[in-house]
Amino acid sequence: MNFWFAVFRQVGRNLRQTWASQFMTFLTVSLSVLIFAFFYLIYTNMLGTGDRLSDDLRLIVYLEDEPGPQMQEQLRRKIKNFDDVEKITFVSKEEAYDRFSKKLGNDSDVLADMPKDFLPASIEVVPLKTLRGYNQIKLFSEYLANLPGTEKVQYGQEWVERFYYFTRLLTIVVLLSGTLLILTATFMVAYTIRLTILGRQDELELLKLVGATNSYIRTPFLIEGILQGFMGSIIGLFALYGLFQWISAHFAGPGLLNLFHFSFFPPIVIVLIILSSISLCSIGSYTSIRKFLRI
Amino acid sequence: MIEMIKVSRTYDPNITALSDISFSIETGEMFFLIGRSGAGKTTLLKLICNMEIPSNGLIEVAGYNINTLRGKDLAHLRQKIGVAYQDFKLLSDRTVAENVAIAMEVSYKKPRAIRHRVKDLLEQLQLADKHDILTGELSRGEQQRVALARSVANSPRLILVDEPTGNLDASTTQRVMDLLTRSNKAGATIVIATHDASIYQQSNHRIMELRDGKIHSLTKRNQ
Repeated sequence: MNFWFAVFRQVGRNLRQTWASQFMTFLTVSLSVLIFAFFYLIYTNMLGTGDRLSDDLRLIVYLEDEPGPQMQEQLRRKIKNFDDVEKITFVSKEEAYDRFSKKLGNDSDVLADMPKDFLPASIEVVPLKTLRGYNQIKLFSEYLANLPGTEKVQYGQEWVERFYYFTRLLTIVVLLSGTLLILTATFMVAYTIRLTILGRQDELELLKLVGATNSYIRTPFLIEGILQGFMGSIIGLFALYGLFQWISAHFAGPGLLNLFHFSFFPPIVIVLIILSSISLCSIGSYTSIRKFLRI
Repeated sequence: MIEMIKVSRTYDPNITALSDISFSIETGEMFFLIGRSGAGKTTLLKLICNMEIPSNGLIEVAGYNINTLRGKDLAHLRQKIGVAYQDFKLLSDRTVAENVAIAMEVSYKKPRAIRHRVKDLLEQLQLADKHDILTGELSRGEQQRVALARSVANSPRLILVDEPTGNLDASTTQRVMDLLTRSNKAGATIVIATHDASIYQQSNHRIMELRDGKIHSLTKRNQ
């Protein structure tokens, strides 16, 4: 018989003898992983959506008068004074009219009686991808609003602002739920191992007296913690995947989810969640062993 | 094998269980420890196997100061000491075979060798039919024999036995003593704490009598 054979047989015995408390802990770990991963999945999807939306972000500066070539050059220089930008496009009154007309499509005849210069000239500014924070965009728009001849700056302020605050709220929810669930899982595993240790005090004392080494006595408890973390996270993630599939199937189509491109975790994140769960449960188990298993 | 120099053991509040005990036991010796209940026999055995720590004095077992050993060294020494405790220390939710096997499992003996040894010991102690019975369901006499079987199972170099015949009839007592004698002849040092005069009166082994925690008499070797 070797060390690992003896250890795994002991683990089997422990699981058989304390299956009820082990099962409760396993459920708690699964639920903790499920709840945390659920919020985290929404969070990562929101961030993805935010990135996609910001790719389309452009600030439109409406001008009082159409700028001449010299003025255009001056404005271009002033805009770049704030920060380098991806692209600056000047849209004349006529170009604006043509674009609007194209957008109207078959209804473009409503513009028939309108003069071709009734829309204001504008500058379309596509900021660099590095300038994506809500506050930076706000500062940039304020700067653009103070350029000479500027009437108004538009970039979907309300939408950007709401989205920004929603992702901030979600960050807090993810952090809080993560912390609470980490504590719960660790505590539950520690408590189960503690109960097992207390319930088997006679056996542990006997093992010590017949010459069992510390690792012979302690390793099975550590493996129980690792198993709890591994199985709990696998089942939690599996349940989340089921939920994800259900949501995708029932809410697919031209709805909200289509806008968000709802996607599941990449493999690396799944592995990280499983490893984190194993680490936390091992820590819980190790803490109990250190505290209650005095050899 | 065992060396004790001026060993004392006191318990709170100021109760002296053993006082100034000095003696030695040779390797391969069978040694009887006698005395009335409360004389300190069990305490002495517990000190030898490091279940308790002396208040004063030095205890050496197999050349090691047993009270300074820790971790793996202590575990390995304990694997070489078989102890049959007065309260048996059996796991009542495990079978007789599992209880006996536990001593061999911790030193990673092969499962086949364990099964063979357990079967052989149970036959020697007339417990073969109890192989798969939970020890919680056995009589005290049977439990005592299981504890004894466990103490010799791993073929230890030192066997400490506390009142091995307390719950046994004459014929079973003889079987137990035969088993211990065989282990002794195979080279094990045996220390038997007892107040059953029938098992030491006819023997030519050394006998140490304790009274009130002190050595009252100690017969010489080859006497």
